Amino acid sequence: MKAPVITGESAVTALGRTLAETRAALAAGRSAVGPVEDDGAPPAADRSPAARIGAFTTEPELPKSKARRLDRGSQYAVVAVKQALADALYTVAGREERTGILLGTGSAGAGPLTEFERQMAVESPDSASPFLFPNTVANAPASQAAIEVGIKGPNVTITQKDSSALNALFYARMLLADGRADALLVGAADEWNLVYHRAYERVHATRTERRPGFVLGEGAAVVLVEDETAARARGARIDARIAGLASRGAALSPQKRRAEPAVLAAAMRDALDQAGLAPSGIGLVHLSRNGSPFTDAAESAALADVFGAQLPRTVTVKDSLGENPTIGAIQVALAAAELRADPGTGAILINAFGAGGNVLAAVLTAP
Amino acid sequence: MDERRVVVTGLGAVTSLGNDLASTWEGLVAGRCGIGPITLFDASAFRTKLAAEIKELPSGFDPVLRRRLSRTDVIGLTAAAEALADAGLDLDREDPSRIGVVLGGGVSGLLDSENYFRDLVARGPRRARPTKVLNHPPDQTTDRIAERWGLLGPRSTITTACSSSGTSLGYAADLIRHGFCDVVVTGGADTFARLTHGGFNALRSVDPEPCRPFDLRRKGLSIGEAAGLLVFEDEGHARRRGARIRARFLGYGVTSDAHHMTQPEPTGEAGARTLSACLLASGLNPGDVDYVNAHGTATPQNDSAETAAIKRALGKRAREIPVSSIKSMLGHCLCSAGAIEAVATVCTIETGLVPPTIHWEEPDPECDLDIVPNVARESRVRVALSNSFAFGGNSTVVAFGAP
Repeated sequence: MKAPVITGESAVTALGRTLAETRAALAAGRSAVGPVEDDGAPPAADRSPAARIGAFTTEPELPKSKARRLDRGSQYAVVAVKQALADALYTVAGREERTGILLGTGSAGAGPLTEFERQMAVESPDSASPFLFPNTVANAPASQAAIEVGIKGPNVTITQKDSSALNALFYARMLLADGRADALLVGAADEWNLVYHRAYERVHATRTERRPGFVLGEGAAVVLVEDETAARARGARIDARIAGLASRGAALSPQKRRAEPAVLAAAMRDALDQAGLAPSGIGLVHLSRNGSPFTDAAESAALADVFGAQLPRTVTVKDSLGENPTIGAIQVALAAAELRADPGTGAILINAFGAGGNVLAAVLTAP
Repeated sequence: MDERRVVVTGLGAVTSLGNDLASTWEGLVAGRCGIGPITLFDASAFRTKLAAEIKELPSGFDPVLRRRLSRTDVIGLTAAAEALADAGLDLDREDPSRIGVVLGGGVSGLLDSENYFRDLVARGPRRARPTKVLNHPPDQTTDRIAERWGLLGPRSTITTACSSSGTSLGYAADLIRHGFCDVVVTGGADTFARLTHGGFNALRSVDPEPCRPFDLRRKGLSIGEAAGLLVFEDEGHARRRGARIRARFLGYGVTSDAHHMTQPEPTGEAGARTLSACLLASGLNPGDVDYVNAHGTATPQNDSAETAAIKRALGKRAREIPVSSIKSMLGHCLCSAGAIEAVATVCTIETGLVPPTIHWEEPDPECDLDIVPNVARESRVRVALSNSFAFGGNSTVVAFGAP
């Protein structure tokens, strides 16, 4: 399949409200992971931290008057979409029907959903706020962004565990190959939510002092993915090429954070084959590693299988930004920015080994 | 790339009309209504106390597994089992990495996690019981199906509200056309919850009586529950194993209204764009279309906007063909609506029987197409479209054809 190109990238993360700020913070070794304390917090030893975005302003990208109507995930998405369009010097006006959006998510709508449930439970079921309900849907971030910037092409939201963002990219590549659009904003948006956080804590999924596990995070990241011919026709700067992208499944219980090394290795090899690269062509690996013992061990075994003793440089952003379906999109945006800053980096492999056996691997190369 | 064509080789259904395809289809052509009093929670405080619930949840699961499953998982797995059996696939002889799972989802295990939220409000986070709360994400049923049958191909869950499972059919077909899969289990499952009932009530878009699509006095939708599962297959793969081909998946259109989070674009311009995108991708002309399975929610706004969209996109053909809404019988099954309506559309092509729009009494001049009022009709259908429009302006239209 024809390899599409990335012409702009953005990220709104717990380390900064732009991709540049996020990169600088990561380079300085900063982490956004911090404690979550409130009246309902469990005893300290059972408490999980999170990588949260604190006070957030949508300005200058979106005026506060408009932002008030949006849930937080949608605010992150609209800001990230506008930043990515600006970075790509891409104007939607005049290309509305040839522009689309595909976002992954996990918990989008959690804020309005839990508030609506609270109102129904403690007030009257029939008097909960009608303004909350439309933003409880998972597609609110992508669709609010589509409405805000006038996108009339394909508009899709995907929820597939931690690997949602690469899953969206996988669909986007087919949509571009079929000529359904010339340019697609692809990424993810997700919000951290206290009710969900406490639930994950209670079922022992997240990291505490006493046990390993992942750390919840939030944010949005978007790349503009274009058909190369269309991008060149508009004189776009090309930052990276999506040279390989593989999607596989392992048949595992969706509640078990396990992974099978053989499936992970097969996905990496498939992505390398598509890119026409040997393992030695990879200069950097964005690891899926998130602190969950089973998946981390499986990823190490799969890397050893594919790369042998010649393991390339690796980077783990989840230690600093937590785990959630936006991470894959943040990694793609970071990788494109890395290739743009230094085309000599070599190809970059991005692993997304989600819970329930949702396995994807992407290879980005310099143009 | 050789042109790989997508065919339908298996169907499965669990609906308020019955727990399998045969009883569902029989109910639809008989014009039976699945909408009745809500039993899953106390609905006495709501204006509307009706929904199209599954009458008796399918049984026969291993008890240990059953305790872990959500209501959505149960009907999704049941319909998937029926669809896979219908397709006659011998999974021992297939390469599992070539079989994908792509569903639409949304509500998933919400009915259970709502119990946690309520416990949380009443007793605080330290004492609330998080039973089954991990079934909350909408991708659970997708993973359950992959796990149950050991399907190792690409997997995805589309979460675009009421167009989720319509779009999932498109993603599934693309996986086959682009050579990533030979077989994809697709469609969707969705069940009832306080959130969806309370939400549509808050928006005043639920009818206190069973919904009446395209009727002048329509007041809104009735919510339903359903699983609709389809086995999509590469035609060459299906022919080599001697499978029965029930229909072809001809193509789809997926677009964004860019209009409003909850309101359809009233002139039909946006809906017509989706319909035209589907015709283009499917290699069809308006004159080829013999039937439209309408989104037909019975909200005042949808039905008139959809009528305008069909007229814009199909021109004079719009007045020559039947356009019916099975939501009048099954309710609006939200994230599985596109899937169960696709199943019904395939059955329409196979049998030449168009299911009716029931509860229809009074014509609306803004809904002036042939909506097949109240009684099913015989009509030769070689090509049919099915519409799905959603919150957020996420619109999808799919096209099926005779084999």
